[in-house]
Amino acid sequence: MVPHMADLSEFSHAVGQSKVVVGKLKEKEQDSEMVMEFKPAEQQFHALPRSRADLHPLHSHSPPSLSLPRLRQVDDDAENRNNEEFYDPLRVPDSNASPAIVDDQDFESSSSGGNYDSVQAQTKEWTSFKRFLMQRFPVSKMISLSSMSSTIVRGGKALEKTSTSMHLEELEDPQKSSEETAKVITRQEYVSRLHELKDEINRAWNAEDRVTSLKLSIKVARLLMDTSVLNFYPTLFVLAADVLDMLGDMVWERIRLKAEFAEDGTENFGASDVCTDAKETCYNWFCKVGSIQELLPRIYLELAILPCWRFLIEQPSEPLHRLVMMTRGLADPLASSYCRLYIAHRAQKLPSYDTGYFDQTKDIGYLITCVNDMKLVFTRISSSKETGNGCFADSKRSLISLMEPAIEFIMKCLFKDVSLHSVGKVLVELGLGRSQEELFGGSSSVSVILYHILKELSTDLVSCHAVGILHLIKCSNDSSYDQIFLFVEQCLNYRLLGLRLSEQISQTDAVDAVLNDVIQVVSQYGLDEYLKVLDAYLDIILQNQMDGHLKAILGRISELACDKVIADDELAGLQSILVKLLSHFKDLEVVFSLNHFLEILDLMHGSSRSIVNMHILDMATRNGHVRDPTTIQLLFEISQALHDDFDLAHIKSDDNQQQARLISRFVLMVDHGDEYERHLAFLVECRGAFGSITELKEILVHSSNCLAAKATKDGKKHLGFVKSCIAFSEVTIPSISGHIKQLHLYLETAEVALLGGLVSHADGLIDSAINCLQSFDGMGGSRAAVDSDGILSSIRKLCSLSVMVPGDPEVGILHIPKSILSLINSQPWSPRLKTRIFCAIFSLSATLSQERLPYRAVHPEVPGNDLLFFGDSSYVHELLSLTESVLQNLVDVIELEPSRVKYFQKITNVNIETSFFLSIADLCYAGLKAARGTMSLEACNCIASSFKINEHVLPVCSKLIETAKSCLSANDRYLISTISILDKNLPPAAVSPSIAI
Amino acid sequence: MVLVLAIGDLHIPHRAADLPPKFKSMLVPGKIQHIICTGNLCIKEVHDYLKSLCPDLHVTRGEYDEDSRYPENKTLTIGQFKLGICHGHQVIPWGDLDSLAMLQRQLDVDILITGHTHQFKAYKHEGGVVINPGSATGAYSSFTYDVNPSFVLMDIDGLRVVLYVYELIDGEVKVDKIDFKKTATTHATH
Amino acid sequence: MSTARVELKLSRPNRIYRPSETLQGRIVVKAASSFSHYGIRIGLTGSVNLQVRGGSAGVIESFYGVVKPIHILNNIIEIKPSGKIVSGTTEIPFSILLRNPKEDNLERFYETFHGTNISIQYLATVDIMRGYLHKSLSATVEFIVESDKADLLDEPISPEMVIFYITQDTQRHPILPELKSGGFRITGRIATVCSILEPLSGELTVEASAIPIYSIDIHLLRVESVLLGEKIVTETSLIQTTQIADGDVCRNMTLPIYVVLPRLLTCPTVFAGPFSIEFKVAIVINFQSELSRLYPKSDPKTPRLWTAMETLPLDLARPR
Repeated sequence: MVPHMADLSEFSHAVGQSKVVVGKLKEKEQDSEMVMEFKPAEQQFHALPRSRADLHPLHSHSPPSLSLPRLRQVDDDAENRNNEEFYDPLRVPDSNASPAIVDDQDFESSSSGGNYDSVQAQTKEWTSFKRFLMQRFPVSKMISLSSMSSTIVRGGKALEKTSTSMHLEELEDPQKSSEETAKVITRQEYVSRLHELKDEINRAWNAEDRVTSLKLSIKVARLLMDTSVLNFYPTLFVLAADVLDMLGDMVWERIRLKAEFAEDGTENFGASDVCTDAKETCYNWFCKVGSIQELLPRIYLELAILPCWRFLIEQPSEPLHRLVMMTRGLADPLASSYCRLYIAHRAQKLPSYDTGYFDQTKDIGYLITCVNDMKLVFTRISSSKETGNGCFADSKRSLISLMEPAIEFIMKCLFKDVSLHSVGKVLVELGLGRSQEELFGGSSSVSVILYHILKELSTDLVSCHAVGILHLIKCSNDSSYDQIFLFVEQCLNYRLLGLRLSEQISQTDAVDAVLNDVIQVVSQYGLDEYLKVLDAYLDIILQNQMDGHLKAILGRISELACDKVIADDELAGLQSILVKLLSHFKDLEVVFSLNHFLEILDLMHGSSRSIVNMHILDMATRNGHVRDPTTIQLLFEISQALHDDFDLAHIKSDDNQQQARLISRFVLMVDHGDEYERHLAFLVECRGAFGSITELKEILVHSSNCLAAKATKDGKKHLGFVKSCIAFSEVTIPSISGHIKQLHLYLETAEVALLGGLVSHADGLIDSAINCLQSFDGMGGSRAAVDSDGILSSIRKLCSLSVMVPGDPEVGILHIPKSILSLINSQPWSPRLKTRIFCAIFSLSATLSQERLPYRAVHPEVPGNDLLFFGDSSYVHELLSLTESVLQNLVDVIELEPSRVKYFQKITNVNIETSFFLSIADLCYAGLKAARGTMSLEACNCIASSFKINEHVLPVCSKLIETAKSCLSANDRYLISTISILDKNLPPAAVSPSIAI
Repeated sequence: MVLVLAIGDLHIPHRAADLPPKFKSMLVPGKIQHIICTGNLCIKEVHDYLKSLCPDLHVTRGEYDEDSRYPENKTLTIGQFKLGICHGHQVIPWGDLDSLAMLQRQLDVDILITGHTHQFKAYKHEGGVVINPGSATGAYSSFTYDVNPSFVLMDIDGLRVVLYVYELIDGEVKVDKIDFKKTATTHATH
Repeated sequence: MSTARVELKLSRPNRIYRPSETLQGRIVVKAASSFSHYGIRIGLTGSVNLQVRGGSAGVIESFYGVVKPIHILNNIIEIKPSGKIVSGTTEIPFSILLRNPKEDNLERFYETFHGTNISIQYLATVDIMRGYLHKSLSATVEFIVESDKADLLDEPISPEMVIFYITQDTQRHPILPELKSGGFRITGRIATVCSILEPLSGELTVEASAIPIYSIDIHLLRVESVLLGEKIVTETSLIQTTQIADGDVCRNMTLPIYVVLPRLLTCPTVFAGPFSIEFKVAIVINFQSELSRLYPKSDPKTPRLWTAMETLPLDLARPR
């Protein structure tokens, strides 16, 4: 060997040399027997004896568990998806919402009063409420300001000017002030101006200039008088409330320090414990705040320092009630609602008192007054006359929706601590009930308020009083000005009632009565409202098996939905209802047989339809095979619809993958039983319909192969069919991406072809498989993630497969191993890979030389090579020559290794002289050495288990062992076991000391 | 006493929809300490199912496995035994004892578990024991479509192994038992 | 010498004392170096200062002038005889009985009040006499006098509520024709006798109004009368405006009237010979009107076309 040979192109030279050796061996063959002798196989003798076991570890003492985890992950995913889809659309946050304007950190304010934990909980609740408020009502970037907001526009200057000078300016030039009303400012400016004000207040406070702090705070509060930009109001409220909370906390802290009980840190004190000085300061604050002329800032400022009432009086519930009453003076519905919201918020800072008003610790009378006052406001809004403006109703609606959060928050506070016992009292006070006995007997209520009460009531109460609540919903006539709006409002309440009732479904007469009523009421609704309401009741209907209702509802839906373009909201409603039906019924066929189900499905389109389709497919494939031809056809159409809806732009998106998976799963689950042709036709159809799903094409090949295997098992009459299957697979495989995948599928198809006795088909498929190898780059260079272990396994599998492929004398009996060999020699594969492939061919030829092959094709018409060629000397010759050539190649490759190793060592030595790189080189060298040793042992084992160890084989083995010894430690267990196996196989006469350790 | 489930060649869903229900009802979580799977599961869901039976799962790669991260072969030590796993489609010829013994020497294990042939086998040779648990679903193999579903459960106790062979024959689960010990000689060489 | 300063510090932070009480406090002297003095004295003065700036009579020039003040208290007490003040801070406590029982000749102690024409003020001044060459060091503080409990009425202040009706027919000034024709009715009740320590309270309901309401305000007015020769000059001025309704409030919803009385700007109603201090409360309803925009900042006391009002006397008293 040329020692410096490192370049891989030198391999051809090595092969050339080996031919000489083979020639020599051949010469010897002629005058003697075989030089190399294959070993006979002898495994039968080693089988371990087995006996019947009556007792075994999996013996079940208990009935088989039903709670086995399900096999398919898909199901769980689907369920998770369901949950998301069923999320109450009313609660889905506005996707158009602008990001929160104020960062959370600003909201962290120091807490005062009350129990620490509950204070924390309240702070958290308030923070999230504020975020919700700002997100729910996104603000356009520009805000036009009325003159009210001069604090904002003029910035710091306004503070220096005296109020009289400002008035004078306005008097001089009324035009100027009206110009200002049209002033436009960006939202961001407005917000940052408020932040500046907050900082100024803080600065003044820290400079002991409390009067300025108060004055600036009043200015901030005054901003809330301006409700002209409706949608900005909630944001404005949040920002202003934040400033006022801060001021309130600072005042609290100041007086608390004066009160001189701070040492023990307790927050539980009475007004009697407070020293006069602190009281005086506190009283002064209330006087100052009380002298504010305008009502709204006066209320807000007093609310800011509301907790301080505790320094003056034992139970500050009187001021709280008064403030609620004072708020009535705010005529603007928006301003008054948010003021009440602020009352509810600030009142949380007061400790609990037993007022005797209700039998609980927290006085909630003021909240009840709030709600009842708001009720009047709502009634007033809805009864106000249209003023010629066309979008009056719309503006009313948006106004009501802006006021809703206030109602929601107040209701939450109201019902938070109400004991079960006093809920009745509260309801009566709110005007819902006539008496404790008749909790929902009131005659009129405001839908929006009813909605939020219904939201807060306990599940038990709702289900006990369902009929009464229903009556209230029916009677709510607050939106009489706008018939459509009334429907919308009532519809929301009907829906909510349904959802609340579904929380605890019980079969009572009441439920039945409610349902009858609801269905009757909604029958006059349009599709959207109809769906929204009934969607909420569907669970009750399904669980109580009210089939009559179900039938009627589906009928009505299809009546309403046909002949119209279905809007997005309606689609969502349909989707929810259909998915609920699917989830409820275990059997898809039952769902399909529901009147109008398929009809409604057909009316749907877009992503809602896809989602329903996915649910159907998921359900169809959940319980094993799909056998009913009608169902199969239906599901096929559904799959097609799903496939057509693929978002081609995002073919790799998760959604599409989920859909692809479901379609594939459906195709897999289809079972036409004995009707193989039909099944194959189905597969053909699928290939046409779902061409874009790669994963499915693999499944099609597997399915058609499986079909062929089944048909073969059934007998000879299906030969033509098996051929069709094989042909189908063969045509389908090339369109699958990935050569290794193709290779395996070709091999599987070849195996199936052999099962069916189709030798020539198998030959063709194996050739295709070998062709797949051509494009494989064995050096692992260019292609990413080249799987050389995988390719080696594939080649080895190919070798094992070829054991049972009858040799074709026309192309050469050893056509397959020879093709592989020529492939290896034409490819720049790594020595390691080459060694192993040589070993594989070596083992193959050893196997083929057996008198009786270890296995042959099961088909009676496929003869084994042993039957065909055994005893045929040319066959034996060819085998031997192949073997010898491989042996030489093998030895050469292993011998070539050291030069690679040395070459590597040399370049590192020359070019990089640092010790660091040298040590790396050493490591690499050690690694290469060990690999070479293992390779030698592998080759040696391969030879030893294939051949009788005679004088021709022994030197090769010895040489390999020497190589291994030079590369590996003497204690290497592989080395030891290999030597011992060699020793065992040595012919007695030829025991050679050279092998002994 | 450690229970080791050896299972393989499920070919789900390509050649079988699922495990036979009778097997499924026997395989319950909590009983088995280790699972050895020779490969060809073929999809992730099967992997997850096995994982649910026992989190200590060792899988090697069959040619149809979706997950290409499974190794070609793997070794692990349970008690006094060193076990090796390999799918077996790489063995030439398939299921050949000499070839398996060769692999066993290379992996240096007491028990080698392979699959691919879809037929239960348990051999003993000088190097140790070779086991093939068969196909748990009875999927057709490279050379036969007549396959009885089978798997193997090993009860490893000290130097002794009791091998239970579960086979579904004509709709009935038949359980056979094979008993072997790690011999002093094999022990000595280790 | 500019290196010494004196301060008067009263014992009560709110500086409120009753005539029968002693005024207590400390004289704080901060000196860079020690100096001698000829005595430290505290002078207490209390007086009613009256002036006339026109007023409701309208003939400004003829009435303009200062009326002789009425002295209530004039008392000088020597705290320390002549001596020396050491350098650094020296604190000298003092305690003076306000009403000297021996001197019964003086005026009664009116409560402190600062008005437009009438001012009732009590001052304490400290003087440190330093001979002829040096200006004496001095400092003055105002202290607030409230009536003695003994001088107050025994009966508790009856929360006398007056019921009022404000309609288009009760107005004494011209109002807009549309107000006249459309009509309105605002009713309520309000306290007309009120403790000076308590807020002014009451309630108000808008029963009807054809024209939307712009605002409802409670004006607190003071009426100062000074006897000038034979004439009584009376001036009414606005002390405080408190809005109780902003915008067109709901009909038939009771709104609270709650007005915090400003300290110092109010005192118990006084009827003295040479002067009197009285109070009034006005309920002013502003209706929405284009006209009001033209006069955005008009004098709230003046009745306008778009306002309706009711003015009631308010008797303030100090509770016992």
